[in-house]
Amino acid sequence: MLDAFSKAVVSADQKTGYIGGAELAALKTYIANGNKRLDAVNAITSNASCIVSDAVSGMICENPGLISAGGNCYTNRRMAACLRDGEIVLRYVTYALLAGDASVLEDRCLNGLKETYIALGVPIPSAIRAVSIMKASAVAFINNTASKRKIETPQGDCSALASEAGSYFDMAAAALR
Amino acid sequence: MKSVVTTVLAAADAAGRFPSGSDLESVQGNIQRSAARLEAAEKLAAGHAAVVKEAGDVVFKKYPYLKSAGEAGDSAEKVAKCYRDIDHYMRLINYCLVVGGTGPLDEWGISGAREVYRALNLPTAAYVAAFQYTRDRACAPRDMGPQALTEFRAYLDYVINALS
Repeated sequence: MLDAFSKAVVSADQKTGYIGGAELAALKTYIANGNKRLDAVNAITSNASCIVSDAVSGMICENPGLISAGGNCYTNRRMAACLRDGEIVLRYVTYALLAGDASVLEDRCLNGLKETYIALGVPIPSAIRAVSIMKASAVAFINNTASKRKIETPQGDCSALASEAGSYFDMAAAALR
Repeated sequence: MKSVVTTVLAAADAAGRFPSGSDLESVQGNIQRSAARLEAAEKLAAGHAAVVKEAGDVVFKKYPYLKSAGEAGDSAEKVAKCYRDIDHYMRLINYCLVVGGTGPLDEWGISGAREVYRALNLPTAAYVAAFQYTRDRACAPRDMGPQALTEFRAYLDYVINALS
């Protein structure tokens, strides 16, 4: 597992070079935006169950066959498994956002996920849809534009962090495709 | 690679939970302290050539026997390798300053070093002298800020202790 700092170290070591100027500038932006990043992570973790249940409900609303007999969310047990998986993806996206690097998401969550879902018969398009709804609501929470739940934070532009988080969700969706 | 953030994330992942408030606090503490570390890393990256040369020169002056026949520095090639090794440690210290932990030194420098030096019959005392010289020669505010210097010296001491 890497974070923004150890990522810089590993790539510098491959060139056996020191970490100076340009690489340090990128890390300094990580530090300068540190509190924003922590607020963004906090915005997701504080609303995690809302983000997950909303995404799964949205996915089912668009495709009610999932909860009718024979559907993949039919029976509480399978619905619970679906909610749990949504939370797992969201959790690793949150880790990646805190680290500022996608390696934890890729190594520990996405690697082999598609194959597992195919083996278990999980409908991939529905999973991708749930991930994209989670992306939309997580981005809204990070930008603090979620209409019914505002968090009191200092004013500031978090759009860069929102798009970084969005890219991690895109990575999850792409891994399933 | 161990750093504050990856340690926090590994613990959260082992428990299967989202990053908690205290996790975020410890990451924030790390971020607040990082300015000094990065300053030291930047200064070291900019001046490493001079630092390495000076430290190496002092060692060969202090231990002139190193250049006599059969010793570790009896040819120009071997002498160059000594400077290269000092530079190697400085680079790892640069990495440690960036990560904020001894991970790079532990994983890439110190682990196995004793065995290698024994097998190749290299004097660790000479390396220790080089790093001691660098530690005592570096001064604030000429080379870097006082806090940055403290961080830099801490990693030099770490290397010295590991080699002695």
